[in-house]
Amino acid sequence: MKKILAVLLVVLLAAVFSGCSAEKDELVVGMELAYPPFETKDERGEPYGVSVALAEALGEYLGKPVRIENINWDGLIPSLETERVDVVISSMTITEERAKTVDFSEPYAHAYLALLVNRESPVEKAEDLNQPERIIAVKKGTTGHVYAQNHLTNATINALSSESACVTEVIQGKADAFIYDQLTIYRQNQANPETTRAVLIPFQESEKWGMAIKKGNKELLEQINAFIKDFRAAGGFEKLTEQFLAEEKKTFDALGFPWFFE
Amino acid sequence: MKKSPALFYKSISVVLVTVILVGFVWISLVRINHRLDFSTLWAYKYRLWQGFKMTLIMAFASLLVSLLLGSVAAMAQKSRFLVLSYLAKIYIQIIRGTPLLVQIFFFFYIIGTAWGVDNRYLAGVLILSLFEGAYIAEIIRGGLESIDESQFELAKAVGLTPAKTFRLVTFPLLMARILPALTGQFASIIKDSSLLSVIAIPELTQITQEISADNYRLFENYFFLGLLYFVMTFAVSLITRHLERMYKHENSAG
Repeated sequence: MKKILAVLLVVLLAAVFSGCSAEKDELVVGMELAYPPFETKDERGEPYGVSVALAEALGEYLGKPVRIENINWDGLIPSLETERVDVVISSMTITEERAKTVDFSEPYAHAYLALLVNRESPVEKAEDLNQPERIIAVKKGTTGHVYAQNHLTNATINALSSESACVTEVIQGKADAFIYDQLTIYRQNQANPETTRAVLIPFQESEKWGMAIKKGNKELLEQINAFIKDFRAAGGFEKLTEQFLAEEKKTFDALGFPWFFE
Repeated sequence: MKKSPALFYKSISVVLVTVILVGFVWISLVRINHRLDFSTLWAYKYRLWQGFKMTLIMAFASLLVSLLLGSVAAMAQKSRFLVLSYLAKIYIQIIRGTPLLVQIFFFFYIIGTAWGVDNRYLAGVLILSLFEGAYIAEIIRGGLESIDESQFELAKAVGLTPAKTFRLVTFPLLMARILPALTGQFASIIKDSSLLSVIAIPELTQITQEISADNYRLFENYFFLGLLYFVMTFAVSLITRHLERMYKHENSAG
Protein backbone atom coordinates (compact mmCIF):
# COMPACT_ATOMS: atom_id res chain seq x y z
CA MET A 1 0.00 0.00 0.00
CA LYS A 2 2.72 2.46 1.03
CA LYS A 3 4.72 1.63 -2.06
CA ILE A 4 1.77 2.25 -4.31
CA LEU A 5 1.13 5.56 -2.59
CA ALA A 6 4.75 6.59 -3.01
CA VAL A 7 4.68 5.71 -6.70
CA LEU A 8 1.46 7.65 -7.23
CA LEU A 9 2.94 10.67 -5.45
CA VAL A 10 6.05 10.59 -7.59
CA VAL A 11 4.01 10.32 -10.77
CA LEU A 12 1.84 13.23 -9.70
CA LEU A 13 4.80 15.42 -8.83
CA ALA A 14 6.55 14.52 -12.05
CA ALA A 15 3.43 15.54 -13.93
CA VAL A 16 3.48 18.93 -12.21
CA PHE A 17 7.14 19.73 -12.66
CA SER A 18 7.77 18.34 -16.09
CA GLY A 19 5.30 20.97 -17.26
CA CYS A 20 6.52 24.06 -19.02
CA SER A 21 8.53 22.74 -21.96
CA ALA A 22 10.85 25.21 -23.61
CA GLU A 23 9.12 27.70 -25.93
CA LYS A 24 9.95 26.78 -29.49
CA ASP A 25 10.29 29.67 -31.83
CA GLU A 26 8.01 28.48 -34.58
CA LEU A 27 4.68 29.56 -36.00
CA VAL A 28 2.05 26.92 -35.45
CA VAL A 29 -0.82 27.35 -37.89
CA GLY A 30 -4.12 25.52 -37.35
CA MET A 31 -6.38 24.58 -40.24
CA GLU A 32 -8.82 21.86 -41.20
CA LEU A 33 -7.30 20.11 -44.19
CA ALA A 34 -10.68 19.23 -45.65
CA TYR A 35 -11.48 22.15 -47.90
CA PRO A 36 -9.76 21.91 -51.25
CA PRO A 37 -8.20 23.81 -52.85
CA PHE A 38 -7.69 26.06 -49.84
CA GLU A 39 -6.77 23.57 -47.16
CA THR A 40 -6.11 20.03 -48.28
CA LYS A 41 -3.39 17.38 -48.56
CA ASP A 42 -1.24 16.45 -51.52
CA GLU A 43 -0.85 12.86 -52.72
CA ARG A 44 1.79 12.20 -50.08
CA GLY A 45 -0.48 13.45 -47.32
CA GLU A 46 1.37 16.72 -46.77
CA PRO A 47 -0.64 19.91 -46.17
CA TYR A 48 -1.33 21.63 -49.45
CA GLY A 49 -3.38 24.53 -50.75
CA VAL A 50 -3.89 28.28 -50.80
CA SER A 51 -3.95 28.64 -47.02
CA VAL A 52 -0.84 26.49 -46.64
CA ALA A 53 1.07 28.70 -49.07
CA LEU A 54 -0.30 31.75 -47.28
CA ALA A 55 0.83 30.37 -43.92
CA GLU A 56 4.30 29.77 -45.30
CA ALA A 57 4.49 33.30 -46.61
CA LEU A 58 3.43 34.56 -43.18
CA GLY A 59 6.14 32.47 -41.53
CA GLU A 60 8.71 33.88 -43.91
CA TYR A 61 7.52 37.41 -43.14
CA LEU A 62 7.84 36.76 -39.39
CA GLY A 63 11.13 34.89 -39.80
CA LYS A 64 9.77 31.75 -38.16
CA PRO A 65 9.54 28.18 -39.39
CA VAL A 66 5.92 27.13 -39.95
CA ARG A 67 4.25 24.01 -38.60
CA ILE A 68 0.76 23.16 -39.88
CA GLU A 69 -1.62 21.47 -37.43
CA ASN A 70 -4.57 19.67 -38.99
CA ILE A 71 -7.53 20.16 -36.65
CA ASN A 72 -11.25 19.45 -36.99
CA TRP A 73 -13.33 22.51 -37.71
CA ASP A 74 -14.99 22.69 -34.31
CA GLY A 75 -11.63 22.27 -32.60
CA LEU A 76 -9.95 25.23 -34.31
CA ILE A 77 -11.08 28.00 -32.00
CA PRO A 78 -10.51 25.96 -28.82
CA SER A 79 -6.97 25.25 -30.11
CA LEU A 80 -6.32 28.98 -30.19
CA GLU A 81 -7.67 29.40 -26.70
CA THR A 82 -5.43 26.67 -25.32
CA GLU A 83 -2.43 27.98 -27.29
CA ARG A 84 -2.02 24.75 -29.18
CA VAL A 85 -1.75 26.91 -32.30
CA ASP A 86 -0.68 30.52 -32.80
CA VAL A 87 -2.97 31.39 -35.68
CA VAL A 88 -5.83 29.80 -37.58
CA ILE A 89 -5.81 30.23 -41.36
CA SER A 90 -8.68 28.03 -42.49
CA SER A 91 -10.97 30.04 -44.77
CA MET A 92 -12.71 31.15 -41.61
CA THR A 93 -15.42 33.75 -41.98
CA ILE A 94 -15.24 36.67 -39.57
CA THR A 95 -18.44 36.62 -37.53
CA GLU A 96 -19.52 38.62 -34.52
CA GLU A 97 -20.10 35.44 -32.57
CA ARG A 98 -16.61 34.08 -33.28
CA ALA A 99 -15.04 37.48 -32.60
CA LYS A 100 -16.26 37.21 -29.01
CA THR A 101 -13.86 34.32 -28.48
CA VAL A 102 -10.93 35.13 -30.78
CA ASP A 103 -9.43 38.15 -32.54
CA PHE A 104 -9.53 38.39 -36.32
CA SER A 105 -7.06 39.96 -38.72
CA GLU A 106 -8.14 42.29 -41.49
CA PRO A 107 -10.04 40.25 -44.08
CA TYR A 108 -7.78 38.72 -46.73
CA ALA A 109 -10.47 37.15 -48.91
CA HIS A 110 -14.23 36.98 -49.25
CA ALA A 111 -16.74 34.47 -50.53
CA TYR A 112 -20.45 34.04 -51.11
CA LEU A 113 -22.75 31.25 -50.09
CA ALA A 114 -24.44 29.18 -52.78
CA LEU A 115 -26.78 26.19 -53.03
CA LEU A 116 -26.22 22.71 -54.35
CA VAL A 117 -29.74 21.56 -55.15
CA ASN A 118 -31.05 18.10 -55.94
CA ARG A 119 -32.16 17.96 -59.57
CA GLU A 120 -35.69 16.87 -58.69
CA SER A 121 -36.19 19.49 -56.01
CA PRO A 122 -38.32 22.53 -56.91
CA VAL A 123 -35.98 24.90 -55.06
CA GLU A 124 -34.85 27.82 -57.23
CA LYS A 125 -33.49 30.25 -54.66
CA ALA A 126 -32.57 30.37 -51.00
CA GLU A 127 -35.99 31.67 -49.88
CA ASP A 128 -37.67 28.59 -51.37
CA LEU A 129 -35.95 26.55 -48.69
CA ASN A 130 -37.81 28.23 -45.87
CA GLN A 131 -40.71 25.74 -45.95
CA PRO A 132 -41.60 22.96 -43.52
CA GLU A 133 -41.26 20.27 -46.20
CA ARG A 134 -37.75 21.34 -47.26
CA ILE A 135 -34.65 19.59 -45.92
CA ILE A 136 -31.33 21.37 -45.79
CA ALA A 137 -27.91 19.77 -45.41
CA VAL A 138 -25.17 21.86 -43.84
CA LYS A 139 -21.74 21.17 -42.45
CA LYS A 140 -21.73 21.53 -38.68
CA GLY A 141 -20.58 24.92 -37.50
CA THR A 142 -20.04 26.52 -40.90
CA THR A 143 -21.53 29.85 -41.90
CA GLY A 144 -23.98 27.90 -44.06
CA HIS A 145 -25.20 26.24 -40.86
CA VAL A 146 -25.51 29.60 -39.15
CA TYR A 147 -27.35 31.09 -42.14
CA ALA A 148 -29.84 28.22 -42.17
CA GLN A 149 -30.44 28.50 -38.44
CA ASN A 150 -31.08 32.22 -38.67
CA HIS A 151 -32.95 32.56 -41.95
CA LEU A 152 -34.47 29.19 -42.83
CA THR A 153 -36.12 28.35 -39.55
CA ASN A 154 -39.13 26.61 -41.09
CA ALA A 155 -37.07 23.93 -42.81
CA THR A 156 -35.51 20.80 -41.37
CA ILE A 157 -31.79 21.39 -40.97
CA ASN A 158 -29.50 18.37 -40.90
CA ALA A 159 -26.07 19.28 -39.63
CA LEU A 160 -23.55 16.74 -40.89
CA SER A 161 -19.90 16.36 -40.06
CA SER A 162 -18.37 16.53 -43.50
CA GLU A 163 -18.78 18.23 -46.85
CA SER A 164 -18.96 14.87 -48.63
CA ALA A 165 -21.83 13.67 -46.44
CA CYS A 166 -23.77 16.86 -47.27
CA VAL A 167 -23.18 16.37 -50.98
CA THR A 168 -24.23 12.72 -50.76
CA GLU A 169 -27.48 13.72 -49.06
CA VAL A 170 -28.28 16.10 -51.92
CA ILE A 171 -27.33 13.58 -54.61
CA GLN A 172 -29.57 10.94 -53.02
CA GLY A 173 -32.44 13.35 -52.50
CA LYS A 174 -32.24 13.04 -48.73
CA ALA A 175 -31.85 16.81 -48.72
CA ASP A 176 -33.17 19.49 -51.06
CA ALA A 177 -30.06 21.60 -50.84
CA PHE A 178 -26.63 21.97 -49.35
CA ILE A 179 -25.52 25.47 -48.37
CA TYR A 180 -21.81 26.14 -48.81
CA ASP A 181 -19.51 28.55 -50.58
CA GLN A 182 -19.78 29.27 -54.33
CA LEU A 183 -16.55 27.58 -55.35
CA THR A 184 -17.26 24.28 -53.61
CA ILE A 185 -20.84 24.23 -54.85
CA TYR A 186 -19.61 24.91 -58.37
CA ARG A 187 -17.05 22.09 -58.16
CA GLN A 188 -19.49 19.61 -56.65
CA ASN A 189 -22.04 20.41 -59.32
CA GLN A 190 -19.40 19.83 -62.00
CA ALA A 191 -18.62 16.47 -60.41
CA ASN A 192 -22.31 15.46 -60.17
CA PRO A 193 -24.07 17.08 -63.13
CA GLU A 194 -26.78 14.41 -63.44
CA THR A 195 -28.07 14.57 -59.89
CA THR A 196 -27.53 18.17 -58.86
CA ARG A 197 -28.04 21.78 -59.87
CA ALA A 198 -26.01 24.72 -58.62
CA VAL A 199 -27.64 27.97 -57.51
CA LEU A 200 -24.64 30.26 -57.48
CA ILE A 201 -26.43 33.60 -57.26
CA PRO A 202 -25.31 35.27 -54.03
CA PHE A 203 -28.17 35.54 -51.53
CA GLN A 204 -26.42 37.42 -48.78
CA GLU A 205 -23.54 39.81 -48.16
CA SER A 206 -20.12 38.43 -48.90
CA GLU A 207 -18.40 36.57 -46.09
CA LYS A 208 -15.04 37.94 -45.16
CA TRP A 209 -12.30 35.53 -44.29
CA GLY A 210 -9.78 36.43 -41.62
CA MET A 211 -6.91 34.83 -39.79
CA ALA A 212 -7.84 34.13 -36.20
CA ILE A 213 -5.56 34.47 -33.19
CA LYS A 214 -5.96 34.19 -29.44
CA LYS A 215 -7.81 37.11 -27.91
CA GLY A 216 -5.59 39.92 -26.74
CA ASN A 217 -2.42 39.00 -28.61
CA LYS A 218 -1.99 42.55 -29.97
CA GLU A 219 1.58 42.12 -31.18
CA LEU A 220 0.85 39.13 -33.40
CA LEU A 221 -2.35 40.76 -34.67
CA GLU A 222 -0.47 43.85 -35.81
CA GLN A 223 2.22 41.75 -37.45
CA ILE A 224 -0.36 39.70 -39.31
CA ASN A 225 -2.23 42.76 -40.51
CA ALA A 226 1.03 44.26 -41.73
CA PHE A 227 1.81 41.01 -43.51
CA ILE A 228 -1.55 40.93 -45.30
CA LYS A 229 -1.11 44.49 -46.48
CA ASP A 230 2.41 43.74 -47.65
CA PHE A 231 1.45 40.48 -49.33
CA ARG A 232 -1.44 42.08 -51.20
CA ALA A 233 0.69 45.01 -52.37
CA ALA A 234 3.34 42.60 -53.65
CA GLY A 235 0.77 40.73 -55.74
CA GLY A 236 0.94 37.65 -53.55
CA PHE A 237 -2.75 36.82 -53.94
CA GLU A 238 -2.52 36.91 -57.73
CA LYS A 239 0.31 34.40 -57.47
CA LEU A 240 -1.78 32.16 -55.24
CA THR A 241 -4.65 32.35 -57.74
CA GLU A 242 -2.32 31.38 -60.56
CA GLN A 243 -0.82 28.52 -58.59
CA PHE A 244 -3.97 26.95 -57.17
CA LEU A 245 -7.09 28.44 -58.74
CA ALA A 246 -6.38 29.24 -62.37
CA GLU A 247 -9.33 27.19 -63.69
CA GLU A 248 -11.77 28.50 -61.12
CA LYS A 249 -10.77 32.09 -61.79
CA LYS A 250 -11.71 31.66 -65.44
CA THR A 251 -15.10 30.23 -64.54
CA PHE A 252 -15.80 32.95 -61.98
CA ASP A 253 -14.87 35.62 -64.51
CA ALA A 254 -17.11 34.02 -67.12
CA LEU A 255 -20.01 33.87 -64.67
CA GLY A 256 -19.32 37.42 -63.55
CA PHE A 257 -18.83 36.52 -59.91
CA PRO A 258 -16.42 38.53 -57.78
CA TRP A 259 -13.13 36.80 -57.07
CA PHE A 260 -11.97 35.72 -53.58
CA PHE A 261 -9.10 38.17 -53.30
CA GLU A 262 -10.63 41.22 -54.94
CA MET B 1 -15.61 -2.21 16.91
CA LYS B 2 -14.02 -4.71 14.62
CA LYS B 3 -15.43 -3.04 11.56
CA SER B 4 -14.18 0.46 12.22
CA PRO B 5 -10.60 0.06 10.96
CA ALA B 6 -11.95 -1.42 7.74
CA LEU B 7 -14.37 1.46 7.41
CA PHE B 8 -11.61 3.94 8.18
CA TYR B 9 -9.35 2.30 5.65
CA LYS B 10 -12.14 2.30 3.10
CA SER B 11 -13.00 5.98 3.46
CA ILE B 12 -9.35 7.02 3.39
CA SER B 13 -8.93 5.11 0.16
CA VAL B 14 -12.02 6.66 -1.38
CA VAL B 15 -10.82 10.14 -0.48
CA LEU B 16 -7.36 9.38 -1.79
CA VAL B 17 -8.61 8.06 -5.11
CA THR B 18 -10.89 11.06 -5.51
CA VAL B 19 -8.08 13.50 -4.70
CA ILE B 20 -5.74 11.79 -7.17
CA LEU B 21 -8.27 11.73 -10.01
CA VAL B 22 -9.60 15.25 -9.48
CA GLY B 23 -6.07 16.51 -8.90
CA PHE B 24 -4.85 14.94 -12.10
CA VAL B 25 -7.60 16.55 -14.18
CA TRP B 26 -7.14 19.84 -12.38
CA ILE B 27 -3.38 19.87 -12.97
CA SER B 28 -3.97 18.99 -16.61
CA LEU B 29 -6.31 21.96 -16.96
CA VAL B 30 -3.83 24.27 -15.24
CA ARG B 31 -1.09 23.03 -17.54
CA ILE B 32 -3.01 23.97 -20.64
CA ASN B 33 -4.04 27.19 -18.95
CA HIS B 34 -7.75 26.58 -19.25
CA ARG B 35 -10.43 27.71 -16.88
CA LEU B 36 -13.59 25.65 -17.11
CA ASP B 37 -16.72 27.70 -17.52
CA PHE B 38 -19.93 25.74 -17.72
CA SER B 39 -22.23 28.78 -17.56
CA THR B 40 -22.66 28.97 -21.33
CA LEU B 41 -24.24 25.51 -21.35
CA TRP B 42 -27.28 26.65 -19.41
CA ALA B 43 -28.68 28.42 -22.47
CA TYR B 44 -28.84 25.09 -24.29
CA LYS B 45 -30.66 23.16 -21.58
CA TYR B 46 -33.74 22.54 -23.70
CA ARG B 47 -31.75 21.14 -26.62
CA LEU B 48 -29.57 19.05 -24.31
CA TRP B 49 -32.67 17.58 -22.70
CA GLN B 50 -34.10 16.79 -26.14
CA GLY B 51 -30.82 15.14 -27.07
CA PHE B 52 -30.75 13.17 -23.82
CA LYS B 53 -34.25 11.85 -24.52
CA MET B 54 -33.34 11.05 -28.12
CA THR B 55 -30.31 9.05 -26.99
CA LEU B 56 -32.46 7.08 -24.56
CA ILE B 57 -35.13 6.46 -27.19
CA MET B 58 -32.58 5.36 -29.78
CA ALA B 59 -30.81 3.09 -27.30
CA PHE B 60 -33.99 1.57 -25.94
CA ALA B 61 -35.56 0.93 -29.33
CA SER B 62 -32.28 -0.58 -30.52
CA LEU B 63 -32.13 -2.79 -27.44
CA LEU B 64 -35.53 -4.28 -28.26
CA VAL B 65 -34.83 -4.82 -31.95
CA SER B 66 -31.32 -6.12 -31.34
CA LEU B 67 -32.65 -8.61 -28.77
CA LEU B 68 -34.94 -9.98 -31.43
CA LEU B 69 -32.20 -10.00 -34.06
CA GLY B 70 -29.70 -11.51 -31.68
CA SER B 71 -32.05 -14.31 -30.63
CA VAL B 72 -32.86 -15.15 -34.23
CA ALA B 73 -29.17 -15.13 -35.18
CA ALA B 74 -28.24 -17.28 -32.20
CA MET B 75 -30.91 -19.86 -33.10
CA ALA B 76 -30.10 -19.71 -36.79
CA GLN B 77 -26.46 -20.36 -36.05
CA LYS B 78 -27.44 -23.69 -34.52
CA SER B 79 -29.81 -24.52 -37.34
CA ARG B 80 -29.38 -27.77 -39.25
CA PHE B 81 -30.35 -25.88 -42.37
CA LEU B 82 -26.83 -24.92 -43.43
CA VAL B 83 -27.71 -21.82 -45.46
CA LEU B 84 -29.35 -20.31 -42.41
CA SER B 85 -26.52 -21.29 -40.13
CA TYR B 86 -23.83 -19.86 -42.44
CA LEU B 87 -25.82 -16.70 -42.95
CA ALA B 88 -26.02 -16.14 -39.20
CA LYS B 89 -22.34 -16.93 -38.70
CA ILE B 90 -21.23 -14.60 -41.47
CA TYR B 91 -23.52 -11.84 -40.20
CA ILE B 92 -22.02 -12.08 -36.73
CA GLN B 93 -18.47 -12.27 -38.04
CA ILE B 94 -18.75 -9.30 -40.39
CA ILE B 95 -20.65 -7.04 -38.02
CA ARG B 96 -18.29 -7.76 -35.15
CA GLY B 97 -15.30 -7.37 -37.41
CA THR B 98 -16.02 -3.94 -38.85
CA PRO B 99 -16.33 -0.50 -37.24
CA LEU B 100 -19.81 0.82 -36.49
CA LEU B 101 -18.96 4.04 -38.31
CA VAL B 102 -18.38 2.13 -41.54
CA GLN B 103 -21.64 0.26 -41.07
CA ILE B 104 -23.58 3.46 -40.48
CA PHE B 105 -22.37 5.02 -43.72
CA PHE B 106 -22.80 1.80 -45.69
CA PHE B 107 -26.28 0.96 -44.46
CA PHE B 108 -27.62 4.50 -44.44
CA TYR B 109 -26.34 5.81 -47.76
CA ILE B 110 -26.22 2.61 -49.80
CA ILE B 111 -28.60 -0.03 -48.44
CA GLY B 112 -31.03 2.44 -46.89
CA THR B 113 -31.24 4.57 -50.03
CA ALA B 114 -31.54 1.54 -52.30
CA TRP B 115 -34.45 0.13 -50.32
CA GLY B 116 -36.21 3.36 -49.48
CA VAL B 117 -35.44 3.63 -45.76
CA ASP B 118 -35.34 7.41 -45.79
CA ASN B 119 -36.39 8.08 -42.24
CA ARG B 120 -33.13 8.64 -40.41
CA TYR B 121 -34.50 7.74 -37.01
CA LEU B 122 -35.75 4.38 -38.25
CA ALA B 123 -32.50 3.86 -40.15
CA GLY B 124 -30.53 4.76 -37.03
CA VAL B 125 -32.38 2.24 -34.88
CA LEU B 126 -32.05 -0.48 -37.51
CA ILE B 127 -28.33 0.07 -38.03
CA LEU B 128 -27.60 0.19 -34.32
CA SER B 129 -29.72 -2.93 -33.81
CA LEU B 130 -27.91 -4.77 -36.56
CA PHE B 131 -24.64 -3.91 -34.88
CA GLU B 132 -25.63 -4.77 -31.33
CA GLY B 133 -27.61 -7.83 -32.46
CA ALA B 134 -24.39 -9.58 -33.47
CA TYR B 135 -22.99 -9.12 -29.98
CA ILE B 136 -26.24 -10.20 -28.35
CA ALA B 137 -26.27 -13.33 -30.54
CA GLU B 138 -22.89 -14.23 -29.13
CA ILE B 139 -24.10 -13.62 -25.56
CA ILE B 140 -27.08 -15.89 -26.15
CA ARG B 141 -24.93 -18.56 -27.80
CA GLY B 142 -22.57 -18.49 -24.84
CA GLY B 143 -25.53 -18.79 -22.49
CA LEU B 144 -26.99 -21.73 -24.37
CA GLU B 145 -23.66 -23.53 -24.43
CA SER B 146 -23.19 -23.02 -20.72
CA ILE B 147 -26.32 -24.99 -19.87
CA ASP B 148 -25.33 -28.46 -18.79
CA GLU B 149 -26.40 -31.36 -21.02
CA SER B 150 -27.71 -33.19 -17.95
CA GLN B 151 -30.50 -30.61 -17.65
CA PHE B 152 -31.88 -31.71 -21.01
CA GLU B 153 -31.45 -35.36 -20.15
CA LEU B 154 -33.36 -34.79 -16.93
CA ALA B 155 -36.12 -33.02 -18.81
CA LYS B 156 -36.34 -35.93 -21.19
CA ALA B 157 -36.36 -38.39 -18.31
CA VAL B 158 -39.36 -36.71 -16.67
CA GLY B 159 -41.12 -36.77 -20.03
CA LEU B 160 -41.17 -33.09 -21.03
CA THR B 161 -41.99 -32.31 -24.64
CA PRO B 162 -39.39 -30.17 -26.52
CA ALA B 163 -41.68 -27.15 -26.24
CA LYS B 164 -42.09 -27.63 -22.51
CA THR B 165 -38.38 -28.24 -22.12
CA PHE B 166 -37.73 -24.87 -23.70
CA ARG B 167 -40.35 -23.07 -21.64
CA LEU B 168 -39.60 -24.69 -18.30
CA VAL B 169 -35.90 -25.52 -18.49
CA THR B 170 -33.91 -23.83 -21.22
CA PHE B 171 -35.51 -20.39 -21.12
CA PRO B 172 -35.36 -19.73 -17.36
CA LEU B 173 -31.80 -21.02 -17.11
CA LEU B 174 -30.72 -19.02 -20.13
CA MET B 175 -32.36 -15.84 -18.88
CA ALA B 176 -30.71 -16.12 -15.49
CA ARG B 177 -27.32 -16.59 -17.11
CA ILE B 178 -27.41 -13.93 -19.81
CA LEU B 179 -29.44 -11.18 -18.16
CA PRO B 180 -26.43 -9.49 -16.52
CA ALA B 181 -24.48 -9.58 -19.79
CA LEU B 182 -27.48 -8.24 -21.69
CA THR B 183 -27.90 -5.26 -19.41
CA GLY B 184 -24.19 -4.64 -19.77
CA GLN B 185 -24.69 -4.63 -23.52
CA PHE B 186 -27.35 -1.98 -23.04
CA ALA B 187 -24.65 0.33 -21.65
CA SER B 188 -22.68 -0.26 -24.85
CA ILE B 189 -25.71 0.58 -26.96
CA ILE B 190 -26.08 3.88 -25.14
CA LYS B 191 -22.47 4.79 -25.86
CA ASP B 192 -22.47 3.44 -29.42
CA SER B 193 -25.55 5.50 -30.27
CA SER B 194 -23.27 8.56 -30.16
CA LEU B 195 -21.97 7.58 -33.60
CA LEU B 196 -25.43 8.14 -35.07
CA SER B 197 -24.48 11.82 -34.95
CA VAL B 198 -22.75 11.33 -38.31
CA ILE B 199 -26.13 10.97 -40.00
CA ALA B 200 -27.44 14.03 -38.16
CA ILE B 201 -29.72 12.28 -35.72
CA PRO B 202 -30.22 14.88 -32.99
CA GLU B 203 -29.03 12.71 -30.09
CA LEU B 204 -26.75 13.96 -27.31
CA THR B 205 -23.48 13.88 -29.22
CA GLN B 206 -24.93 15.60 -32.27
CA ILE B 207 -26.48 18.29 -30.07
CA THR B 208 -23.18 18.76 -28.26
CA GLN B 209 -21.32 19.12 -31.55
CA GLU B 210 -23.83 21.69 -32.72
CA ILE B 211 -23.53 23.57 -29.45
CA SER B 212 -19.73 23.49 -29.75
CA ALA B 213 -20.02 25.08 -33.16
CA ASP B 214 -22.03 27.81 -31.49
CA ASN B 215 -20.33 28.56 -28.16
CA TYR B 216 -16.78 27.29 -28.90
CA ARG B 217 -16.50 25.80 -25.41
CA LEU B 218 -15.42 22.41 -26.63
CA PHE B 219 -14.01 21.12 -23.34
CA GLU B 220 -16.90 22.11 -21.14
CA ASN B 221 -19.38 20.72 -23.66
CA TYR B 222 -17.66 17.38 -23.96
CA PHE B 223 -17.02 17.16 -20.23
CA PHE B 224 -20.73 17.56 -19.70
CA LEU B 225 -21.50 15.14 -22.52
CA GLY B 226 -19.35 12.52 -20.83
CA LEU B 227 -21.11 13.17 -17.56
CA LEU B 228 -24.54 12.68 -19.13
CA TYR B 229 -23.50 9.39 -20.74
CA PHE B 230 -21.99 8.31 -17.44
CA VAL B 231 -25.25 9.01 -15.61
CA MET B 232 -27.04 6.71 -18.06
CA THR B 233 -24.49 3.91 -18.09
CA PHE B 234 -24.00 4.08 -14.32
CA ALA B 235 -27.72 3.58 -13.82
CA VAL B 236 -27.53 0.58 -16.14
CA SER B 237 -24.56 -0.87 -14.29
CA LEU B 238 -26.45 -0.59 -10.99
CA ILE B 239 -29.24 -2.64 -12.55
CA THR B 240 -26.68 -5.11 -13.86
CA ARG B 241 -25.19 -5.54 -10.41
CA HIS B 242 -28.62 -6.10 -8.94
CA LEU B 243 -29.42 -8.74 -11.55
CA GLU B 244 -26.09 -10.46 -10.99
CA ARG B 245 -26.92 -10.78 -7.31
CA MET B 246 -30.31 -12.24 -8.16
CA TYR B 247 -28.66 -14.70 -10.50
CA LYS B 248 -26.30 -15.83 -7.74
CA HIS B 249 -29.26 -16.42 -5.43
CA GLU B 250 -30.97 -18.53 -8.00
CA ASN B 251 -27.83 -20.59 -8.45
CA SER B 252 -27.39 -21.24 -4.77
CA ALA B 253 -31.07 -22.07 -4.41
CA GLY B 254 -30.83 -24.58 -7.22
